[in-house]
Amino acid sequence: MVLNLATENRKTEISSKDGDFDIEVKIPNYIIDTLKSRESHMCVSGKSDSIPDCDKNSAPGMITQRSCVYGGARVVLMPITDAIHLVHGPIGCAACTWDIRGSTSSGDKLYKTGFSTDLREKDVVFGGENKLYESILELNRLYTPSAIFVYSTCVVGLIGDDIKAVCKKAQEITGCRVIPVQSEGFKSFNKSAGHKLACDAMIDYLIGTKEPEEVHPYSINIIGEFNVAGDLFGIIPLYEKMGVKVQTAITGDSTVEKIAKCHHAKLNIVQCQKSSNYLASKMEEKYQIPTIKVNFFGVEETTKSLRAVSEFFGDEEMIKRTEELINSEIKNLRDEIAKYKKDLSGKTVAIYSGAHKSWALVSAFSELDMEIIMSGTQNGKPEDYQKIREHVCEGTLIVDDANSMELAKLLKEYKPDILISGAKEKYISLKCGVPHCDFNHDRITAFSGYNGFINFARVVHTAVMTPVWRLSKKMT
Amino acid sequence: MNDKKFAVINPCKICQPMGAILALLGVKNAMPLIHGSHGCSTYMRFQLGRHFKEPVSVSSTSMSEANAVLGGEENLKNAIKNVCKIYKPEIIGITTSCLSETIGDDVEGIIRLFKTKNEDLPYLVPISTPSYKNTHVEGYDSTVKALVSNLATPSKSNSKLNLITGMVSPSDTAEIKRILQEIGIDYIILTDTSESLDAPFDGDVSFMPNAGTTVNEIKDTANSYATVSLCKHASSAAKFLEETYKIKSISTYLPIGLQNTDEFLNEITKISNVEIPNKIQKERGKLIDAMIDAHQHNFGRKVAIYGDPDIVVGFTRFVMELGMIPSIVCTGNESEAFINDINEITKNSKDKPVILSGGDLYDLHQEIKKSKVDLLIGNSYGSRIAGAENIPLIRMGFPIYDRVGAQRITCLGYSAGIKLVDTITNTILDRYFDEFGWALDEDKEVQNENLKNSCFLN
Repeated sequence: MVLNLATENRKTEISSKDGDFDIEVKIPNYIIDTLKSRESHMCVSGKSDSIPDCDKNSAPGMITQRSCVYGGARVVLMPITDAIHLVHGPIGCAACTWDIRGSTSSGDKLYKTGFSTDLREKDVVFGGENKLYESILELNRLYTPSAIFVYSTCVVGLIGDDIKAVCKKAQEITGCRVIPVQSEGFKSFNKSAGHKLACDAMIDYLIGTKEPEEVHPYSINIIGEFNVAGDLFGIIPLYEKMGVKVQTAITGDSTVEKIAKCHHAKLNIVQCQKSSNYLASKMEEKYQIPTIKVNFFGVEETTKSLRAVSEFFGDEEMIKRTEELINSEIKNLRDEIAKYKKDLSGKTVAIYSGAHKSWALVSAFSELDMEIIMSGTQNGKPEDYQKIREHVCEGTLIVDDANSMELAKLLKEYKPDILISGAKEKYISLKCGVPHCDFNHDRITAFSGYNGFINFARVVHTAVMTPVWRLSKKMT
Repeated sequence: MNDKKFAVINPCKICQPMGAILALLGVKNAMPLIHGSHGCSTYMRFQLGRHFKEPVSVSSTSMSEANAVLGGEENLKNAIKNVCKIYKPEIIGITTSCLSETIGDDVEGIIRLFKTKNEDLPYLVPISTPSYKNTHVEGYDSTVKALVSNLATPSKSNSKLNLITGMVSPSDTAEIKRILQEIGIDYIILTDTSESLDAPFDGDVSFMPNAGTTVNEIKDTANSYATVSLCKHASSAAKFLEETYKIKSISTYLPIGLQNTDEFLNEITKISNVEIPNKIQKERGKLIDAMIDAHQHNFGRKVAIYGDPDIVVGFTRFVMELGMIPSIVCTGNESEAFINDINEITKNSKDKPVILSGGDLYDLHQEIKKSKVDLLIGNSYGSRIAGAENIPLIRMGFPIYDRVGAQRITCLGYSAGIKLVDTITNTILDRYFDEFGWALDEDKEVQNENLKNSCFLN
């Protein structure tokens, strides 16, 4: 599907600002009606300058799909299984984000508990440092955790609680690692700032603080893999079969000790490049660990990601083992994929998700013979949209920070056969009659690696083929 | 109580803006606008969406670091303009957050000035909901009060009864409306989520409630003959109408089970000067019949109930009617009214429950470990306790994210009571009786633990 939209002509036709109000402009070849200030945030790939305006504050009042800096930090650190994640703020910040990331654990479940200092009016007036200090001591006594992460929220930033000092003092008293994360929600419109803060907390307080007993010659860390729905369990066994030791994932199914010892790994592979490239480059700088970018969504990308590691180590035996592994894994997949492909071939896809997924899923869909007609993200930077442009066909819509109304309009206008996104967009999609696949925190099925791809194909197939879409057609 | 004094572990409450949003989602063509950073609106939309399985719109003034320093006035004004332009609401409920409250934005003042400079604006209702004060329960209450105090306009008497439901499910509101219609009472519901949060599929998505209490109805509340609040924690609007417009105000227990429903119906029929119709009487008879059929299974069973205070109070009285023992009751609110209600309900009972007011699910779990209970009633977060202690859980309240149908759970009135008796009894039968229907003795229970546990988790 190629949309011949003359996007570059639009700039000249846009009228100037009229008073305080943004003016709705209807021009030929528009994508959808929206506020004037929002029009440049959507474009069509294949045009000369086809990346959308991005990385800007959301227009106030729009129902943006963005979250906050605290949320960004929380999702990165939350999968560390044996730590306490203590939210220093009013109850809502903890109550609404407690256990919302579907990261699974093969061991400790402490990370799934919701902890809050439950700041009250009195604390806001007189300061919350004492309550935080006592809370840390109390939680350490009740749980003896491996570490306590302390997240600051909007109000903490305003009242100026010195959480670093409190954490330091509490650590001295308890002997437990107490790690501050300065993640005031309002710090940035882009939650990626929170990802960065989380990475900083790990670099500054955790990584390299313990020496491993032995270092495997072929050891790697998987960075930016959060083990949502158990994704890691489809990746680690593949590397182990190749003879590669996975020291830890950061942070999926990890422990404080594993991350503390991960600085001797020979290689870092980065999965979610949105949240974790920064950490990889920091580790490269500090510990000289080289980085390879990987992707485990789809057969081709998984294969490339395995080969990249064996080629990096350059061990002939390993390269041979890897090829054998790939052959034996792929052999079993073809028939399964063909089964789903029969029904899915030619169907169209819209993606609206984290920036990494907005381009990393493209290849996987082409393996199912499905076509991306729209891709977008709420927190994209120019380089992310550049990546999308490189991956999608000409004529694909590229959308930045779409709000609820725009999303619904896009879905109704371009009628994709499925939307890939998270829980907030899920019910918009379903109510518009567009099948939906959750690729975010509420996902309940592992999608990574070879077997994960079969799961993914099945979930997409289920969404598209369920008879309800046929039955829901209006009676005539 | 226990050895925990400072931290909250597994909260049994949410902050005020959440309650505010829930109340606003029951007003037709209303848009909730949170004056804060956009995490607040996004995470609440997420929670509401996965509970109601509906798209939920909550706009935000998207405050950032600069606003935290310089104030959020410009953002608030721009947000109102943009919301008007894009969504065309009839009313915007503007709730504050911890951020805007702490920097001291004068939302009321900003709105007042804004109104003088702009025409054709929708109704703008400022609602103060600092997140560090109280809980979602008070947020709901303040919002209903703000709606009424900003909009209610006395004119001529309307022969209607105002009814404040509190934070009940859409189908609970629908059931209350049905009961009022059966009796023949004309009503104004504050606020009515029965359609907006349980919407039919028609291939389109609405960004604001396209059904619910209308602005005109809210205006008209000043002309009704009385206001009944079903929740003692949601009665501020009723008190306001009484003080300001002399509208009689009554507060009852949430009508869960036999006696609570009796009292509710007595109050509303007395004040409306009507009779309880035969159809409702029959429903009452059927509820008693269901209770008789079930009593052998339920009598003496211990129950722990947690969640919003009025729902916990309602269920406490109901399980006592079934001969069960409410061993532990827990709410996140620090509420005298809650403690008094529980004491009042259990005053003639020899088994006094452990009352956790201002408690969390950690406190609840510690109490359950001390005195084993047979059944849990509360939201999805209790599933961890249920799993750890091998106790069945009946999901009630908010949030229920791990099951479908939360918007269709009805617990108010006699008819819903019948279904509840069935659910409670069948849950007990599933867990404490074998496949032939014989009661398991305690040893067998232990032997069956693994099997039952796996069944339960499925």
